Parts: sequence; C-alpha cells; structure tokens
Amino acid sequence: MSRSTYVLPSNASQIRIVMKYDFMKYLRNKRLAGMSAIVTLVLLLITALPPLLGNSYTDDANEFVNTYTSFVGVLIIIGATLFAGDAIVSEFQNRTGYLLFPKPVKKWVLLAGKFLASMGAMLLVLVLYYGVALLLGLAITGSFSVLGVESLLLAIMYATAAISVGFLISSVMKGTTGAQILTFALFLFIFNIITGIMTISDVEPWFIITYSSGAISYITQDPYPVTVTATGDGPMVMSSYVPDIDVAIAVMLAYALISLVLAHYFFRRREMSA
Amino acid sequence: MSNAIEIEGLTKTYEDLVAVDSLTMNVEKNRFVGFLGPNGAGKSTTIKMLTNLSNATAGKAYLNGIDVVTDPKNALSDLGTVVETPEFYPYLTPNETLAYLGELHGMTDRDIKRRTTEVLDTVKMSEWASKRIGKFSKGMKQRVAIAQAILHEPSIVILDEPTSGLDPRGIFEVREVLLGLKDDGYTIFMSSHMLNDVQEMCDEVALMNRGQLLKSGPVDELIASANMRRLEVRTAREITETQLNRVAQLNAVSDFESFGPRDFVLSLIGGDEAQANLLEDMRGIGLKVVNFKESGDSLESLYMSLIKDSR
Repeated sequence: MSRSTYVLPSNASQIRIVMKYDFMKYLRNKRLAGMSAIVTLVLLLITALPPLLGNSYTDDANEFVNTYTSFVGVLIIIGATLFAGDAIVSEFQNRTGYLLFPKPVKKWVLLAGKFLASMGAMLLVLVLYYGVALLLGLAITGSFSVLGVESLLLAIMYATAAISVGFLISSVMKGTTGAQILTFALFLFIFNIITGIMTISDVEPWFIITYSSGAISYITQDPYPVTVTATGDGPMVMSSYVPDIDVAIAVMLAYALISLVLAHYFFRRREMSA
Repeated sequence: MSNAIEIEGLTKTYEDLVAVDSLTMNVEKNRFVGFLGPNGAGKSTTIKMLTNLSNATAGKAYLNGIDVVTDPKNALSDLGTVVETPEFYPYLTPNETLAYLGELHGMTDRDIKRRTTEVLDTVKMSEWASKRIGKFSKGMKQRVAIAQAILHEPSIVILDEPTSGLDPRGIFEVREVLLGLKDDGYTIFMSSHMLNDVQEMCDEVALMNRGQLLKSGPVDELIASANMRRLEVRTAREITETQLNRVAQLNAVSDFESFGPRDFVLSLIGGDEAQANLLEDMRGIGLKVVNFKESGDSLESLYMSLIKDSR
C-alpha cells in the first residue's frame, strides 16, 4: 500500500471547509430558520403595534430605527446561545470528535471554521433585521438612517464578542445544554445584575459587555447622549450612565479577543473521554 | 524508518493513575497487528494518543516517521481511524460526511466521488448513501466509520474495537471488510477483545496490561513460545466433584472450566508429551474420556496466562 497521495489543503482552505459544513448544520437543524422566525416576529410587533395602539410613526429616520435597535441586544444573546453555546462541546458530548479530531486539521483551524460559521449565521440574522428596519424607515420617513448603519456595525461587534464568549463557555463546559444555558444566563442576567449593582453604587460598569452594548441603540440618537449625574437634597447621587463609544468598541474587541484565545487554549488541551 | 507506527516511551498519567507506562513498540508496514488486553489495560488510551485524541504525558509516537505530538497535521494525513464508536453529524448523509472528511484530506471532488462509491460499496452501504445518518443503527454507523477511515487511501488504519456492540451479522461483515483491507496491504493496528478473530486475522499481536506491554510478535510464534494448548474434554459418564478437583490440580493444567456434567476445557502447559501424560492421568482418576481434542483458542490461553501472571 502506498502512502496517500492527496495534498493536504492549507489551513485557510480547511477553515473554509469546516465553516461550510458547520454552517450547513445551522441550516439543516432549523436553528437559522427558528432565529429568522423570531426576528420576523419582533419586526412585526415593533412595526404593527404603534398604529394599532393609535400612535403615528415618527418622521425622523434615526428615531424610527432607534425603536428597532433597542431589541438587538436580546436577539444577539439568543443568536449567541443558538450558534455558539454548543459549537465546541457538542463535538465531545455527541462523540463526533472521534471522527473529526483524528483528521489532519489543527485545533485552531477547527475553532476558526466553526467561529466563522457561527458569525455567518449571526450576520444573516442581523442583516435581515437591520435591512428590514432601515428599509421601513426609508419608506415611512422618506430618509435613510445612516446612524442605523453605524448601529449595525456596533451590533456586529457585539455579536462577535458574544459568540466568542459562547465559544469560550462551549470549550470548557461538559454538556451542550449547560453551555447554552450559561451563555444565555450570563448575558441576560449575570452581566445585567452586575451592571445594576455597580450603577446603584455610582460606579460606571464600563468593562461589562452588556453595558457597552447600550451603544448600539444610543448611537442612533443625535446627538449621542452623555452620562447624567443628579444630586438631590441629601447625600444621594444618582447617575444615568451612557457608555462611551470608543470604550464600548474597545471592550467588545477585548471580550472577543480574550475569549477566543482562551477558547483555543481550553479546546486544544481538551481530550476525548469515553 | 521502515515501521508504520513507532512508539517510544509513551506515557499517560491521570493524577495518580498511570494509564500507559513508558510503552515502546513498533508496527511494521503492511502488517495486521492485534492489540490485546483487558479493560483498563491502556489500549484505548494508547490509540487515543496515536490519533491526536489525547495528549501524551511523555514519550513519542510516530506515524510513517512523523511525530504525532509535534506535527499532528502531517502525521495524521496518511492515517485512517475508527476509535470507540464514533458518532456522525446527524444532518449529513454518508455522501456528505465522506465529502467533508475527504475535503479536509485534500481530495478533489472527482476523487471524493470515485472513492465514496468504492468505500460505501466495500462496507455495503451504497443504498444508504443519500440518507441522513441521524437514524442509522449502530452497525450501519460502524460501517460508515470504516468507510471514512479508508476513504483517502491511507497506508495506516487504526481501529479501536471495531466490532464492539455489533450483532453477529455486523461482526461478520466488519471481519470481512478487515480481511479485505489486509489483502489490500493496509497496515492495520486493531484493539479487540475478540481473540478468535484476532488469531484468525492478525499477523502479529501485542498484549498489554496495566499500561505495559507484556508480549508482542507473530501470532504463531507467540503461541508456540507459550508452550500452551487449550483442550476440550468430554467423558462417557458424569464427572464427580472429586474428580474435577483432581483434574484441576494436575501440574500441567491451568484455567480449568467445566461446562455441564460431562464436559470441561483446560489449558495445558507443555507439548505432545504433556498432553499424552494428561490423558493417562485422567484415566488414572477414573475418567472415561470419549473426546480429547485441541481447541482453536490457543491465543486465549496465552492471553489468560499472561494476564494472570501480570496481576
């Protein structure tokens, strides 16, 4: 028997292959379809409820899009849960790793391919959501919201960070359900609880990713709002914090980078067990 | 390097447990080697280290001369594996699964189509090629697993208990596939508990226990060197408890086991002379022997003897 004569693809080609087949997973297991259904429902509710309640639409395109951007954070959390929460751990729990890991593919290549597949699914969802919101804004107000596009860019950064954190959780957790629940709970409750407690203590939670995600909606307000500190008659000081755009972007990038590096570290060390 | 697989001082420890203890062994090219040992002996751990599923604590492992630890991508390029019972992506069909794994190996679409047809035909899964694997039985998945292992025509195939959990028909079919691979000149390294299959199919065996290699070499040579044979005995009359005890206590007898009132099997240490003496001894005990023949389970006797000695 002669040695296999096939020439191994480059790492970049293998990333594309892994991405293609992982993306197929989201298409065929109906997660992408389910997520699209949620997006459609949210769009319908936001668009249809105001006139049904007797309210008229605003004639300012940025203000119109602002209503939609308020819900993007939750959509990204659901997306990160569905597209990232079990991306790594499922290979171990479902034993598909016995098939994939003995192949001539580096672990970081697998991680990158899976990450890009998750990002692709999330991007489709965001483009659908923002696309409809921006077009509706254009149709109803007669002008296009450029700030809405900036909001989309921030949403993509937040999605990148959320998916990266999801990958980190997925690379250390033992079960798919636990990984997905933790991803969801971390963004929906834990980060928000920390933000709330810090705000009450009059400390700006600038390093909490969900706090930074507030910029996705704030950016559609013109001018961009600023932190307001109110003092009463007594010693009580209340601040209404608004994340600084540059800091928010830096925090999102830091979460994405650190989470991915740690995810790779844990994934590379992790072993298949019986 | 003329060996397909070279293992040098390979060690795996889990906290206080030494699963594989400085294992050193080689597998020559184009040989079919059976890897034997009881549960917990370290076989699967060794195979996992060879296939990049587990990280070695110490030592080296080479596939076709390439270090699996330092250069896994190139080392694994010429390897096909079936480890444990792998699961498949339920949303993919066998055709798509093989395309995915083939693409990762650098196969062209044309090569993938050609080889997919060939390997699915080899494992008798052609008619299921376009059905999603999600609802396949364990036996069907095992056959697809073998198909993906040989898809890219590797020179080395490593199998970890490939017949585990299969029904008799599935075991027969997998055995046929493996014999076909042997004829095609693959280097095969296979762990198994099916000693008769190993004796029948393998050129060589390596016996392992408690993380250490006990013995390795050509099957016939090992059995001959063990100077041991397995004998089946049937008597004309029912054997008494006293008679059984006396047979079991004879010097050359080990691994005595009775089956029913008139049948027992034993392992005999020694050659023809010892076998003739045993027959006389049994007559002396009062047994009327009607059947006294060597069974084909010589490897099992050797295995049991070595495992017992290493406890």
